[in-house]
Amino acid sequence: MTTRAARVVALLGLLATAVTGWTAGAAAPAETSVTARFGVIAEEPNEPDRMFTAYSPLLAELRQRLAPAGIAVSDLVIARDLDDLSQRIARKQVDFVLESVFPMLALRERSRSLEPALLVVRRGRREYRSVFFTRQESPIRKLADLRGRTLVLQAIRSTSAFALPRAELRRAGLSLVAADDAAADPKAVRYVLALAEVNQAVWVLHQKGDAGAFNEGDWQALPEKIRARLRIFERSRPIQRGLIAFRGDLAPATRRAVEAAMLALHQDGAGLAALTHASGITRFERLTPAARDAVLDWAPVLLPKHPR
Amino acid sequence: MRRTSIGTRYAAYVAALALALVAVALLAAGAIALSQMRVVQAELRDAVAGARAADDERALDGAARYLGLHLFNPLYQLDVERLNETIQQTRSWLPVVSFVVVDRDGRVLTDGTLANSRYGEDVPGALPHDEDGGVTIARRSSETELRFRVAAGGMTAGWAIVTLAEPPWQASLRTLEEKRTAELWSGHRTSLISLGGLVLVATLGLALLTSLLISRTLARPLTEMSRAAEQIAAGNLDHPLTLDSPDELGDLARSLNRMACDLRAHEEALRAERGDLARKNAELERFNYTVSHDLKSPLVTIRGFAGLAGTDLAAGRHDAVRKDLGRIVAAADKMHRLLDDLLELSRIGRVVHPPEDVSLADLVKDAIELLKGSFEPKGVAVHVAADLPMVHADRRRLLEVLQNLLENAAKFMGAQAQPKVEVGWRQDGTERVFYVRDNGRGIEPRFLERVFGLFEKLDPACDGTGVGLALVRRIIEAHGGRAWAESEGPGRGATFCFTLPSASLAEAVPAAAAS
Repeated sequence: MTTRAARVVALLGLLATAVTGWTAGAAAPAETSVTARFGVIAEEPNEPDRMFTAYSPLLAELRQRLAPAGIAVSDLVIARDLDDLSQRIARKQVDFVLESVFPMLALRERSRSLEPALLVVRRGRREYRSVFFTRQESPIRKLADLRGRTLVLQAIRSTSAFALPRAELRRAGLSLVAADDAAADPKAVRYVLALAEVNQAVWVLHQKGDAGAFNEGDWQALPEKIRARLRIFERSRPIQRGLIAFRGDLAPATRRAVEAAMLALHQDGAGLAALTHASGITRFERLTPAARDAVLDWAPVLLPKHPR
Repeated sequence: MRRTSIGTRYAAYVAALALALVAVALLAAGAIALSQMRVVQAELRDAVAGARAADDERALDGAARYLGLHLFNPLYQLDVERLNETIQQTRSWLPVVSFVVVDRDGRVLTDGTLANSRYGEDVPGALPHDEDGGVTIARRSSETELRFRVAAGGMTAGWAIVTLAEPPWQASLRTLEEKRTAELWSGHRTSLISLGGLVLVATLGLALLTSLLISRTLARPLTEMSRAAEQIAAGNLDHPLTLDSPDELGDLARSLNRMACDLRAHEEALRAERGDLARKNAELERFNYTVSHDLKSPLVTIRGFAGLAGTDLAAGRHDAVRKDLGRIVAAADKMHRLLDDLLELSRIGRVVHPPEDVSLADLVKDAIELLKGSFEPKGVAVHVAADLPMVHADRRRLLEVLQNLLENAAKFMGAQAQPKVEVGWRQDGTERVFYVRDNGRGIEPRFLERVFGLFEKLDPACDGTGVGLALVRRIIEAHGGRAWAESEGPGRGATFCFTLPSASLAEAVPAAAAS
């Protein structure tokens, strides 16, 4: 089925739903004819169960809220990484995604059709910063002191624990290279990936790296005894907490219905609980044009090969 | 001091004693039962624990080696998040109290919690090495500490120290033991309370019964005796105690009754003596009067005629003097007889012959024989009852009595054409009344008592000094009996009766009637 045909089918479905609702009553669920597919990237490529566990209440709420509009919500699509998710978007196996700014921009760059639409407010905050930390006794006082040293980061696709620190280093005139890159400039900042924020802190304490970087929320979540042995020596610029983006060729009605459902989730107890269960989301907010521009402005900063 | 009855006091003693005994018995039984129960439980627990210990050792060693393998990679890579996940997963299949992963420096890397509050702590105690087999198991009361090396291919990444709660079977056994002990003790306590309640009720019942028994057997008799003693003290001796129990109280009651009887007897004797004394006083007064009057009379006669004799002698009237002297002699004789009678009367009270068994019929026969001279001229018929009994008395005095009564009957027969005297006896209640009955002149009822007075004569013209009936009464009373006269009036004859105390009576024997 072509995209046009699908749209026609969707529109006809919606029309049929409206007519049926008019005649049979608003309480009766519409006949399902459209399916919305929600995609995320697994935090651990080999452990999709965490994502299923985290997002299943949110998915259930969406199913319940979109059913009257004749929109079914498929099972959560969990991609192994950015490439996997971008391919699934390209194959129209995913209609909307939830990610932080860096992967979202990367996906948008690759798929060319992903449109950020909603802002994710997580733990009450629309924005966050990355913090650079090191051991209390470390001589590192500023970003420049990282030259030739090892920075412990979380994962390549992380915004606050990789892309944003990299951007800040680049802004400070420092390049970031993998620690095992033997050919790299010895004055460059080397990075190792610890896969988890607490691992980053422990690695720094156990001197598997000289400093680390992740978002300020993760800093607050560190065990007190570990945090007490560390200190922050630099903070990044603030960046949006997360985004919901829709595939560009998704039927507008479907997109509007999904957006409306997601924007209303925090307004009742069940929806709010589902949001909180999904990595501490507080609510979704509609992305204003200015905010959308602000997000897109991060592309040349966060994406290394993006034309500036 | 507050007065408490003996029954109440002894009931309280019995109740307290019974309660104390039962309480001690119940507590002892409870303690023994509980002790035995604990011994059995301990043996059961030890037996089960012994049987499970070897299995536990193997299971714990296997768990340590399994965890050691699974913790190696994340510990080697310092992947705390994965270590925490492994710890969390372990909690789902082992009763983990605490779980710390220790780095190669012997410091805690993570305790599996988000707070990781033990991070960086030095681990106390030794950590196992190859020579220990890599695993040490230490048991402390209800917990087991498992220390094992986290190693692979000879490379030690660190250690883990897992403190396990007692295994479920042990906890269940302990819970079961505690629960069963509590239940058993609760049941035992309930039984004790129930039994105690029953014992309390039974003891109260026993106390009540004891109170009643003591009241019946001790308190009430004592109360009765107390009242009886008060009655006796008040002089009321006519309410004997009816208590008849074969014990000391019965003896005491019988003694009290005997004492009351003795007192009553003494009182009656005293009363009788008092009456006797009064009668004797009256008699003495009459005697004084009579003596002074009756003895004075001959003296007056003697004095008068002596004076007259002197006058006649001076006048030379010798015949007159002779008559005067004759009158003086007669008066002196009378006085002599009076004094003889007085002497005889007084002798009756002092001279007592030994009593003997005497046939009253024979005595009557002897008396009639002595008085034959008085009866025959007057043609008096004497009838003597055939069944006059034997008596135990002073024979001579009793003969005097019969002689006086028969003579008296003959003397006062009057103008009776068929004079008759009857000697017999009758039964009046419990006493035998002997009588001498005549059909002579009779006596006015008002003189029935007077005739027994000393020197008393209803007919002054009659012979005698008037001492006979006084003598009769005196002799009968000296024997402990009574004497009195009965008559329906003049012309109706008279009956003189006397009694003798039962001790003076012998078996009645038939005697031939005499006439």
